[in-house]
Amino acid sequence: MNSEKHAKVIKEILSDERDVREATREHQKDFPYDRGEEAQVTRREFCNFLALTSTALFFGAAGFAGKAALDARREQTFAPALIPNAANMPVGSALNFAYPTEKDSAILVRVSEAEYYAYGQKCTHLACPVYFEKEHGRFECPCHEGAFDVKTGNVMYGPPPRPLDRIELERREGGEVWAKSRTAGETEHAI
Amino acid sequence: MQSETTATRTTSERVRVGRGVRGRAAVSQARLILLVMINVAQLWILAAAVEAALARHFNILVPLVVASGVCWLITLSIVLWWRPVSRRHTSTGYIRPQKK
Repeated sequence: MNSEKHAKVIKEILSDERDVREATREHQKDFPYDRGEEAQVTRREFCNFLALTSTALFFGAAGFAGKAALDARREQTFAPALIPNAANMPVGSALNFAYPTEKDSAILVRVSEAEYYAYGQKCTHLACPVYFEKEHGRFECPCHEGAFDVKTGNVMYGPPPRPLDRIELERREGGEVWAKSRTAGETEHAI
Repeated sequence: MQSETTATRTTSERVRVGRGVRGRAAVSQARLILLVMINVAQLWILAAAVEAALARHFNILVPLVVASGVCWLITLSIVLWWRPVSRRHTSTGYIRPQKK
């Protein structure tokens, strides 16, 4: 009996939103609204909302696909760019830089004294930034556990569907490392 | 007034009205469920389009967008034309004769 009474009191406390509904508190006076009315959505309103969502999803998919296709068809010209501090990198270390624009993040790895490899840093699965895992000598994606080979950029395992974007490098006098061009890692499915 | 009307209705009339209301409610619920299912399908299509674009599988993008468009057209047809109406008043404006 006692527990029933407790349950009833708790239920009353939890469901008592009268003061909220009536907007009696000081901060609610400026923007009063009827919470009870607000919470009620008719079936027709919900159907209209679903129709609106469907419209947004269609135009979102079309827009995203259109932009991706346009970007892929656009031919880019690349100007060679010096990668700062690349000559002083210790062997087995990685360096982040941007190429060809400031928005295009990339990663450079020095595998041996004379061997450098550079790739776009975006994972080809869902564009998370990959990092160089020194212990295993590969690039790893922290989001969905994809991995790429350091020397080829090919997918070793995980969900990424294609290799990383490859950046062509050139060594110049004084050990300077220059980025020359950037090409998308392709698979046989790609156009 | 309403209670008077209800009171004056015969049992068979009440049954007929009740069936009509239940029928329209069923159609409304079917619309709602269809719309929800189409939204879920479109969400899946959008996610697939994002993955395909990042993977540079551009040949998959066109069928995905077309599928999303078809879903959208179905949604529009459901919302604009596929409405529950009374058994007497049809969507074309024809009014069926009332059964006795």
